[in-house]
Amino acid sequence: MAIWNTSLAAGLLAATALVSPALAGGTLRLDEVAVGELDPAKASDYADSILMFNVYDTLVLPAQGAAGHVPHLAESWTSDGNTFTFTLRDGAAFQSGNPVTADDVVYSLDRTKALGAGLSYLFGVVESAEAVDARTVRFTLSSPYAPFVASLTRLPIVDKALVEASKAADDTWGEAFLSGNGAGSGAYVVTAHNPQEETVMEKNGSYFLDIAEAAPDQVRLRYGLEAATVRTLIAQGEHDISSQWLPPEVMKALADDGAQLFTEGGTGAFYLKMNTTKPPLDDVNCRLALSEAFDYDTSIRMIAITDEVSGGSPATGAIPKGMFGANDASMALMQDLDAAKAHLDACAYDPAEMDIEISWIAEVPLEERFALLFQSNLTALGVKSHIVKMPWALFAEQVSKPENTPHISQLFVNAVTGDPDTLLYGMYHSSTPGTWQSPEYLNDAKVDEYLEAGRMAATEEERGEAYAMLNARLMEIAPTIYAYDRQSVFAASSRVTAPALTDPAQAFGLDGMGFTFRLMEVAD
Amino acid sequence: MTPVLRLLARRLGISLIVLVGVSMLIFGIARVIPGDPARIALGPNATAEQVDALRESLHLNEAIPVQYGYFVKDLLRGDLGTSLYTNRPVTQDIAQFLPATLELVLFAGILMVGIGLPLGIWSARYRGRWPDHVIRLVSLLGVSAPSFVWAVILMLLFAFFLPIFPIAGRISDIYEIERVTGFLLIDTLLAGNLAAFRDAFWHIVLPAFALAVSGIGQAARLTRANMVETYDKPYIEMAQAYGFRARRIARKYAFKPSLIPSLTIIGLDFAAMLGNAFLVEAVFAWPGLSRYGVAVILRKDLNAIIGTVLIISATFLIVNLIVDLLIAFLNPRIRYSQRGSS
Repeated sequence: MAIWNTSLAAGLLAATALVSPALAGGTLRLDEVAVGELDPAKASDYADSILMFNVYDTLVLPAQGAAGHVPHLAESWTSDGNTFTFTLRDGAAFQSGNPVTADDVVYSLDRTKALGAGLSYLFGVVESAEAVDARTVRFTLSSPYAPFVASLTRLPIVDKALVEASKAADDTWGEAFLSGNGAGSGAYVVTAHNPQEETVMEKNGSYFLDIAEAAPDQVRLRYGLEAATVRTLIAQGEHDISSQWLPPEVMKALADDGAQLFTEGGTGAFYLKMNTTKPPLDDVNCRLALSEAFDYDTSIRMIAITDEVSGGSPATGAIPKGMFGANDASMALMQDLDAAKAHLDACAYDPAEMDIEISWIAEVPLEERFALLFQSNLTALGVKSHIVKMPWALFAEQVSKPENTPHISQLFVNAVTGDPDTLLYGMYHSSTPGTWQSPEYLNDAKVDEYLEAGRMAATEEERGEAYAMLNARLMEIAPTIYAYDRQSVFAASSRVTAPALTDPAQAFGLDGMGFTFRLMEVAD
Repeated sequence: MTPVLRLLARRLGISLIVLVGVSMLIFGIARVIPGDPARIALGPNATAEQVDALRESLHLNEAIPVQYGYFVKDLLRGDLGTSLYTNRPVTQDIAQFLPATLELVLFAGILMVGIGLPLGIWSARYRGRWPDHVIRLVSLLGVSAPSFVWAVILMLLFAFFLPIFPIAGRISDIYEIERVTGFLLIDTLLAGNLAAFRDAFWHIVLPAFALAVSGIGQAARLTRANMVETYDKPYIEMAQAYGFRARRIARKYAFKPSLIPSLTIIGLDFAAMLGNAFLVEAVFAWPGLSRYGVAVILRKDLNAIIGTVLIISATFLIVNLIVDLLIAFLNPRIRYSQRGSS
């Protein structure tokens, strides 16, 4: 037996020596859902936004820990009604060595609009862009659009000369080249990209801003790792930051094992959207009854990861906390069954004949739990309901017609620029019904008026007022149940420091920008 | 024409018909399942006009037979179209991801044959005794649980609790191997980098074993059952009566006839591993074609779906063709029947 034990130990020792060597410090390893292509003009979800923010630069950045924007590739700007003029920073260069010029800005905008993918719709309001000189670019808008500067956080500036030199003759906008290569001025350079495996980036030694020495020298953004794999990798010290898509139980297990929990929030919420065209939800009292019946406290407990960290915080109204027009944190929404019953009594429809269809997106298992919670809330109210599981593709198709849209659609929606306009206009303006964001089919003149006022306002105070009135109006007509303000949570090893994901005073208020690698530090 | 060549020609003809059938079937199915590929490709925020423009450029507004016509026209030029997911030619994606899956499946196939058949032979030889009972129990366990369950169990045991094997990927990040064949076990040797070869070998063991466990159990059970039946045949009794050694009887008189039905099933198992590889690839972050196939299905990337399915079908058919030829080689009756049918 002793010989057997010795042999086994020797075998294991020898085998362990064969295991892949652990990486030295300086490399940051994180994971996300797969990114098929690197083209920044097509970036719209979390993973490709992380890439875009690190490989490319934008004219402005959201201010850290505060409202508004600060210059980045631009050193200053002026606005005169529908015209915005930006002066570019002197000395900024692309990773190729080419200088960043006004021509590149114009090219980037034209390219984004021409491809028409990702978030290009944000620039539909731009009538023209013109390079006044090498360092001055002028945008002329077709109508006043206050959130324009915020939209520029979604206009990555592309190295025109490099794309033109690298593209195929029949590829007008260099799509094939930019699918697998970077052409930006960002702090990290793409060195390898495999859509099934990972994108590898290295620190840009000639970046125009200082990068801390402890910032990662190399970043490996891995794709499509399973929860069990991430848990094992982090436990073995072979992975640094998980994606936000881990089940809360796995996140909690990692935290119990000593992982840090990073958070990023303030740009969106989880919604139960009511189809306002479908009986009985075309009656405002019925919608108010359902809103009052929803158990907000339990919903927060359902997304808690630890006692301190949760996947969200109590909603205070239609606008997430931290945005223009949001209510104070003390005004958290609460379940009120008495008020719900009173509204139900005032509803024109007979509760006994109601059968509310609650849908949940098949790819988001958490929504099934919320469907069950809401079903039990409705049962307490005496309203019958049934739950329907829907794949995303089917849901996106069904919502294009009000009659096919379920009574209740559960959705996570974020402001893609951090500005409330990009969260609320697409949801509630009567000109944008029937998209995945707007299964409410809301048509309310006052809501339209406040949304337009938010776009046209000349000052931030005026915008704040417009959105506060919009918030009040939406709570009055209840097209949506505002379940909670969303917060993304990431498990991280102790060797990583990420102030933008841990300190609210350094947070950007824009999804994905917390992963600005140059601001992170990795211990050896 | 020799009987084997005739068999080969016949099987190739049938395979071609099957491939055409598969392409038509998958082409139709991919287009009728819910979800607009243009909408999915452009993202949820794209405008209706942008979506319509992409639909137009992809001929999605045409009738399905017309779309199939475009597909066949391009296919005849060796063009499977561009993937909306990676924005690269589908052929390029397949060329990048297929070797990883083939390497994994081939390795798993070697484990299946190299472990499953000897276990079956051993079990039959010791029928009714404790080695037989142990092997039957282990084989039953192997076929009872799907590959992904084994993948998670093996990862927990040998990468988490006992960190012997790597957890994910095909090779450690420190190695940069020039791609020649795409098969890392070959490319590392071609590069003359033995440390990288050892590392790649160590990476493939767990996923390949997880993928092979079910096949090992299947092969062992089938081989045992066939051999037990053969052992009851009079010619075996006669060999035993002549005093031939047990090993010789097992190898020469019992194993060869028992191998034919096992081979058919092993061939099917081998081909099925191509499909089952997805979950194993997902658990071990193996960048292969099966994982790519699922990614493109979820994104309704029509060209990539058809390309992937066609390649997997073709591989399936090739494996079956090889198995048919092997069986013909092992079983003279099949060769004679070919001659008879000509």
